[in-house]
Amino acid sequence: MSLLDTREHRRASPPPPPVAARPGLGRRIRAAKWSYLYLAPMAVLLLAFVVYPIFASFGYTFYRWNGIGAPGNYVGLANFRQILHDSIFWGAVGHTFVYAFVLVPVQLLLALALALVLNNPKLKFALFFRTVYFIPVVTSAAVVGVVIQLMLANFGDSAGSLLAKTGMTDGHIDWLGDPHTALAVIIAIGIWHTLGYNLVYFLAGLQTIPAELYEAAKLDGCGPVQSFFRITIPMLRQVGVVIVVLAFIGSFQVFDLVQVLTGGGPYFATEVVNTYIYHLAFGGSAGAAAEPDIGLASAASFLYGLLLIVFSALQVLALRGISRRRTAANQ
Amino acid sequence: MSTLSQRPRPRTRLSLRQGRRGLLYLALLGGGLIWLYPFLWALGSSLKSTDGFFSGGLNPIPSEFHWSNYSEAWTQADFSRFFVNTVLFATGTVIVTLLATSMAGYVLARTEFPGKKLWLGLVGVTLFLPHGYTIIPVFDLIQRLHLLNTLWSVVIVQSAGGMVFGTFLFMGYFTTIDRGLEDAARVDGANFHQIFWRIMLPLSGPMLATVGLFACINAWNSFFIPLVFTLSRPELHTLSVGMFNFIGQNSTAWTLVCAGSVITLLPIVLIFIVLQRFFINGLAGAVKQ
Repeated sequence: MSLLDTREHRRASPPPPPVAARPGLGRRIRAAKWSYLYLAPMAVLLLAFVVYPIFASFGYTFYRWNGIGAPGNYVGLANFRQILHDSIFWGAVGHTFVYAFVLVPVQLLLALALALVLNNPKLKFALFFRTVYFIPVVTSAAVVGVVIQLMLANFGDSAGSLLAKTGMTDGHIDWLGDPHTALAVIIAIGIWHTLGYNLVYFLAGLQTIPAELYEAAKLDGCGPVQSFFRITIPMLRQVGVVIVVLAFIGSFQVFDLVQVLTGGGPYFATEVVNTYIYHLAFGGSAGAAAEPDIGLASAASFLYGLLLIVFSALQVLALRGISRRRTAANQ
Repeated sequence: MSTLSQRPRPRTRLSLRQGRRGLLYLALLGGGLIWLYPFLWALGSSLKSTDGFFSGGLNPIPSEFHWSNYSEAWTQADFSRFFVNTVLFATGTVIVTLLATSMAGYVLARTEFPGKKLWLGLVGVTLFLPHGYTIIPVFDLIQRLHLLNTLWSVVIVQSAGGMVFGTFLFMGYFTTIDRGLEDAARVDGANFHQIFWRIMLPLSGPMLATVGLFACINAWNSFFIPLVFTLSRPELHTLSVGMFNFIGQNSTAWTLVCAGSVITLLPIVLIFIVLQRFFINGLAGAVKQ
């Protein structure tokens, strides 16, 4: 998304002077000293806290290290081997993928439906409703998790007794304590919490579709269903790709909700990769009070990062491919 | 005959449409109530007595108003300290983010210098790399800088996370400002710094609001970063971390927890409602690019 920004910028700036007329590199650097100075705070922060850590965490993966002092106990690839053979790690990867692959489609469909309703120019109070449905986004996942935990503690019994009447359960449901329901509850809360982002994205996308298209389609005898599939969906494709990618990136990073609601439990039933890494690095795993192991945590981070890069690349390629083929077919 | 039979038709159609519209409003309103129900419930429960909390269940309306929950949460449960810490943390993050990203956005948009394209490429790549897996080296770095367990560390790490997004927003904005302004100022004898601080920065008000609001909301809600960097210093905890710990230690003071969540959630929701157009425009602009 922001890469296009760069392209936009290049177009706007004047063409670079011909090479022959360029002064030497040293002089150009000296002439631009203020530019470097102004760039410096951002560059230092980014290099120190975003770029360097990516390389550094790779370095830790070869050590057994509890995080105190300098890493000294070199173990080669043992950390990677241990992670790859850890069923809890693969369980965490599985839970994270289940979380993402259930959350993203459900949330995007709901958000699109709501955006279509709110985009109707005849609808009054559209702005009010947009605000209402957006509010969860600006609230802290950690605090929201706490509130919902309290509600569920109460709700468990009220809804449980309701379900007991239908004969499905014995009356008490421990929503977050039951391995069968905990992940589902977390996914539902995740859908609710960040739906507003996608609502706003879809609204922005819908507003770029010129109204004349719909008028022309109406004149040609298109019904609302037809114009939805023939105009709205194709016109949303570009924004849609960005929305899907962003939604997946966000879901794969889930941490706060899980940490607050279940801490990865019960019996690792909701352990996602970020809570798994956190438990490895800072201890306090559900149940066992393990010694912090930074090397192991870094190896897990690195492997998961690789997995995500591969997944993101495949996703971008697939979405671009679909989009290109469809555009070609339409022409 | 035919005219008579046709006449009532438009009217039924109209009322049907009105009925449908009414239903739509009702559905949107009902959905909205359900959507905000957790917040309404927390607000109501924060005023309940301990007994009322358990007997009230999911009913958000308290039978009597216990305002003392707030004073207790504020003083005894230390939420006053968490609140001050969160305000300092959010303010610091907003200032650092705005300074660093506006300056960087300006020179990237408006000046030419060797290495610019390389830097933009590098920044673009970091967007696609998964973040959040690098907390350990960041922790190590902060430890070596002797900043561990200070509010500064939380501000710096939190700000660093928002650099790319803010810089791109400022860059896009400065690109759209008329170049003639800078040229005219230069002719009048303004130097590089005067052009930025006296002309360009004041012109970027809406973008300052957008980026600042993003930084503020993200900092206010941040959990992982303050959790990790103030782990052993409870007096530095922010609202979300303080809340998390409070529950770990007092598993029964539910009404105080509800009061604490209202103290945490209400300020940021109000800030959002007042300034929402900046936030929403920023998001919409980012996804459309």
